[in-house]
Amino acid sequence: MGTSPQSVRRPADPDPDGHPAAVSAAAGRRRTLRTLGLLRPGAGTTARSAGSRPPWVLIVPACVAALFALLPLGYLAVRALERGPAYAWDVVADERTLQLVGRSLGLAVVVVVACLVLGVSLAWLTVRTALPGARAWSVLATLPLAVPSYVAAFTWLSAAPRTAGFTGAALALTLVSFPYVHLPVAAALRGIDPAQEEAARSLGHGPLRTFRRVTLPQLRPAAAGGALLVALYVLSDFGAVSLMRYDTFTWAIHTSYRASFDRTPAAALSVVLVVMTVALVAAEGRTRGRAGHARTGTGSARPVVPVPLGRWRIPALVWCAAVTAVAVAFPLGTLGYWLAVGTSATWDLGGLGETAWATLGVAAAGAALTTLLALPVGVIAARHRGRGARLLEQAAYAGHALPGITVALALVFFAVRYAYPLYQQLPLLICAYAVLFLPVAVAATRAAVLQAPPVLEDVARSLGRRPLRVLREVTVPLAAPGVAAGAALTFVVCMKELPATLLLRPTGMDTLATRLWTETGAGSFAAAAPYAAALILLAAVPSYLLGRHRT
Amino acid sequence: MTNDLHIEHLAKSYGPEAPVLRGLDLDVPGGALAAVLGPSGCGKTTLLRIVAGFLHADAGSVTVGGRTLTGPGVQLPPERRRIGIVPQEGALFPHLSVARNVAFGLTALDRGERRRRTEEMLELVGLAGYGDRMPHELSGGQQQRIALARALAPRPQLVLLDEPFNALDSALRAGVRADVRAALRTTGATAVLVTHDQQEALSTADLVAVVRQGRVAQCDTPQGLYRRPADPWVAGFVGDAVLLPGTVDRAGRTATTALGTVALASPSEGSGSGTVLLRPEQLRLTEAESGGARGTVTDVCFYGHDAKVTVAVEGVDAPVDVRVAGPVSVRPGEETGIGLTGEATLHR
Amino acid sequence: MRRPTARLLTALTALGLLVPALAACGSEDKGSSAGDDGAALVIYSGRNEKLVKPLLDKMEKAIGAEVDVRYGESAELAAQILEEGDRTKAGLFFSQDAGALGALSKEGMLEKLPQASLDKVDAAYRGGEGDWVGLSGRVRVIAYNPDKVSKAPDSVHDVVKPEWKGKVGFAPTNASFQTFVTGMRVLEGDDATRTWLKGLKENGKTYSNNLATLDAVESGEVSLGLVNHYYWYERVAEKGEDKVRTKLHFLPGGDPGALINVAGAGILKDGGQSAVAQKAVDYLLSKEAQTYFAEETKEYPLSAGVTSPVEDLPPLDSLEAPDIDLGKLESLQETLAMLQDVGLV
Repeated sequence: MGTSPQSVRRPADPDPDGHPAAVSAAAGRRRTLRTLGLLRPGAGTTARSAGSRPPWVLIVPACVAALFALLPLGYLAVRALERGPAYAWDVVADERTLQLVGRSLGLAVVVVVACLVLGVSLAWLTVRTALPGARAWSVLATLPLAVPSYVAAFTWLSAAPRTAGFTGAALALTLVSFPYVHLPVAAALRGIDPAQEEAARSLGHGPLRTFRRVTLPQLRPAAAGGALLVALYVLSDFGAVSLMRYDTFTWAIHTSYRASFDRTPAAALSVVLVVMTVALVAAEGRTRGRAGHARTGTGSARPVVPVPLGRWRIPALVWCAAVTAVAVAFPLGTLGYWLAVGTSATWDLGGLGETAWATLGVAAAGAALTTLLALPVGVIAARHRGRGARLLEQAAYAGHALPGITVALALVFFAVRYAYPLYQQLPLLICAYAVLFLPVAVAATRAAVLQAPPVLEDVARSLGRRPLRVLREVTVPLAAPGVAAGAALTFVVCMKELPATLLLRPTGMDTLATRLWTETGAGSFAAAAPYAAALILLAAVPSYLLGRHRT
Repeated sequence: MTNDLHIEHLAKSYGPEAPVLRGLDLDVPGGALAAVLGPSGCGKTTLLRIVAGFLHADAGSVTVGGRTLTGPGVQLPPERRRIGIVPQEGALFPHLSVARNVAFGLTALDRGERRRRTEEMLELVGLAGYGDRMPHELSGGQQQRIALARALAPRPQLVLLDEPFNALDSALRAGVRADVRAALRTTGATAVLVTHDQQEALSTADLVAVVRQGRVAQCDTPQGLYRRPADPWVAGFVGDAVLLPGTVDRAGRTATTALGTVALASPSEGSGSGTVLLRPEQLRLTEAESGGARGTVTDVCFYGHDAKVTVAVEGVDAPVDVRVAGPVSVRPGEETGIGLTGEATLHR
Repeated sequence: MRRPTARLLTALTALGLLVPALAACGSEDKGSSAGDDGAALVIYSGRNEKLVKPLLDKMEKAIGAEVDVRYGESAELAAQILEEGDRTKAGLFFSQDAGALGALSKEGMLEKLPQASLDKVDAAYRGGEGDWVGLSGRVRVIAYNPDKVSKAPDSVHDVVKPEWKGKVGFAPTNASFQTFVTGMRVLEGDDATRTWLKGLKENGKTYSNNLATLDAVESGEVSLGLVNHYYWYERVAEKGEDKVRTKLHFLPGGDPGALINVAGAGILKDGGQSAVAQKAVDYLLSKEAQTYFAEETKEYPLSAGVTSPVEDLPPLDSLEAPDIDLGKLESLQETLAMLQDVGLV
């Protein structure tokens, strides 16, 4: 079809006598409503793809990713029921199970609350206030991600043995996992239109009340997403709780392997962990509510005027410094001490370099695969509502609270049977990382896609793009910064991973984490320190980028 | 080759209690610019999304140029409809330059043709030379014009504009609106403009369809709609209205009201009483002693190019508005005479 | 998009492209070794790499076969082997303790060893089915600080007496300690053991591991420590005997506190590497290897005719260890439950 200009005569131009005042009043009111956040962008006028089915090009890879994530559950089913459901039930239906659930949940609750306090306060201080050196603090607040929980626990234990037990476990876990809350909350804070807060202030709300009634509710999805990851991390952690001698569910699972060499009770107990995970994921889903988050405006948001801190400046600085000191400076300082007291003979720079390089390699491959698998799941979770989409996302999380050893054994089980040539080869280890850390990348992708206005995808469709190309040319580029942030986060957690790496690495391969395990296992902390330091410093690079990243 | 848009019995509901479209019919001749005008929640956005292919209709059909896009057993995906859309606030791809935004739909062309077409489109919307800019470097009006260029570049049969001028301030709006209309006319594409702003609809479109509760209440030229509204609701929605009780003469050609007798735009069937609908500019103030109807001025609103005078008339319940061009000589509290001109519509 | 993000993305993409290539190179030289030709041996080692790698390097030459070692925790490696089943890659399982070997033996995954190999080791330190042998032994002892006490008690039963209140150090999370408690339960029953543990909790101070316990004895923080013998000998080798105040007391009369733990090895039936694995077992029982254990880790060599060159170490046959089948100490689970119950872990 070509155009033939002027081929169709139009009727004469109309000349109505409109009523300008009435017209602009209506338009103006709409704009004000939107600015106040009372009229959701798109609400009422844009019935988003609620209920409509995602395209196959997303469903198929998303299902592949979900299947991947569900592998450990299949394994658990086989193992737990190997001696009949009655036996499994006997293992689980025990007073002790209930106790352990209580202890694990108790630890998770305390750590999550502490992480929320640390994460939200630091995010607000660094993003919204005139805190001196806000940018630097923001980066520093991300660095604890680089510290493995077992290193944190170990440093605390060696410096303050009295912290062993609940306190120590909670302390170590909080200090390594609060960036999971800090990062998404900081991103959300940057995304909130400052005009909303100004409007609330003009309506007579004080700064605190504004924060509580306008800012906080909008941070809730981001904070809840971070809190979920923290909770699952706490449930699955073995390193810190074992060192701190705090008996949790994970510990009971490990004990079953270590003390009775029996996989059946371990599997039965793991199933309970999966049930807890599903409950937590569902609870997090409820906090999301129905609000859409996409901004439709294309103009750049007005620069935010930082809140002056006044006499709170010093306390705020002290707070940031204290958190940084205990979460970053303290473990690094302890490692430095070990390095200093260690004999020079423990330095093996060649070996260290080689191990570091191998670690970077597998972690990058793990992050790449995980991000790729998370992409369709994250997009569906962000763009589609309904049971199918929800189930898909939950499937990605289902195995996330399982201890690494269980996931590793599940992959041993399947690989030996169905992918023997891959067994104890790098690709399998990389797949293990994907299974373990899929939710980390899914959460980041989902949040990133939510930030991209869906109308752009509609426009691309109408301009002749098929759904897959829309994903590639519009959704992914727009969500890229957030997706990249998720990839960096995944990269960091892959670097720190130990139990699955031990079981699935190619024979003879070492990562910094396994090296660290070897050296501490031999009791040579001075020799372990360079590996721990290298691990933290290398993981600090992507963490640093995450801290600088602005959505 | 015509690009007529033909919509028939379109129905859509979000759940049994929430019908949005209830058998909507609309015909737009090829090359015309039609406005779909309605209040919030009337279903106009749902209509637009069904035509574009983002939503599935429950029943009914959409045909463009004889090609069925939506119909029984037919559901063409958006990318195969050859329909351009211009969303609210433009929605340019923020990660692509202006030129690449415009060229986004030109995948079928080779590189040289694509560049030529892109430049042609930029020229069409008056932004030649802006190709290398990024969207955030443009003003709101410029963004809107680029969005139009992007939609028109692949030569769509139909262009849908979703409240495209909403985000622009009123000073800018008229200019952008005129540019958009000119560009559309040059390409000859059929266009549907969705809006809740009656002034925008009347001033921009060749044809205006007023949508109420999921149906087209009236579809007519802007003049026809304004002068001969189908019912008082439509009349009130497209402009200020003066409603007066009146009696129709035997021939059904005139009606007599408290303000005098007025010709009916279309002959009424039979005599009797009804509501006579006039526009404020059809009323005029006369000397108080001229012998016609009289009233007391209660309010005067001055707009610059004209003014609205509110008059309480003896024998009429509600005060009536009178639009006065030029200087206003009356003040609140004064007595005034009041008369009628032009034609009125009668509603029973 | 801002610039740092763009750079981050580029870096990640580059890594993503680079790594599969890297992975491909890395995997080329591995994996081919697992033994069709019977010349290569894959060992799953629960013993620490730092400890045994030099020995295994020597072994590679001695047996004339390439040796690939996968290090891990003994229990987790046992679980991995169980999960691998008849497709296991392991030819030899080298375990830190007898329990993991017993678990594989129970599942029938270990091959019966030739009598000649078995005969080199006292029946107390090998599997009841003849499918694994102990290679080195660790004895539970009481370490004491002679500045604080003139003589250590002769039985672990004595350390719960009131006179030792606040003076006993131990590491309840340590596997050897837990094995010793399991041994006590086997010998004396659960009730007696529980009572003893309660007394220990009352009297003792807990440490994170044996070394920390030993350091506490050395510093005088506690007078007695329940530890494995070799930590003391390592300290002495490191610092010189005159610099170490602490002394060791080997308990007499089959006291549960004198339990001997062993590290051992077994051959996997389905590993397909029996011949070369057999050579490895024989090497590990050889004088060279046994002396290595004695010298490097100060453990007891278990092979007949090899004595430890370590000074002041009482000969193995002079020890009066309790009589327990080490491979059948499977009730560790209940031991842990008991420790938790008492509140020690």
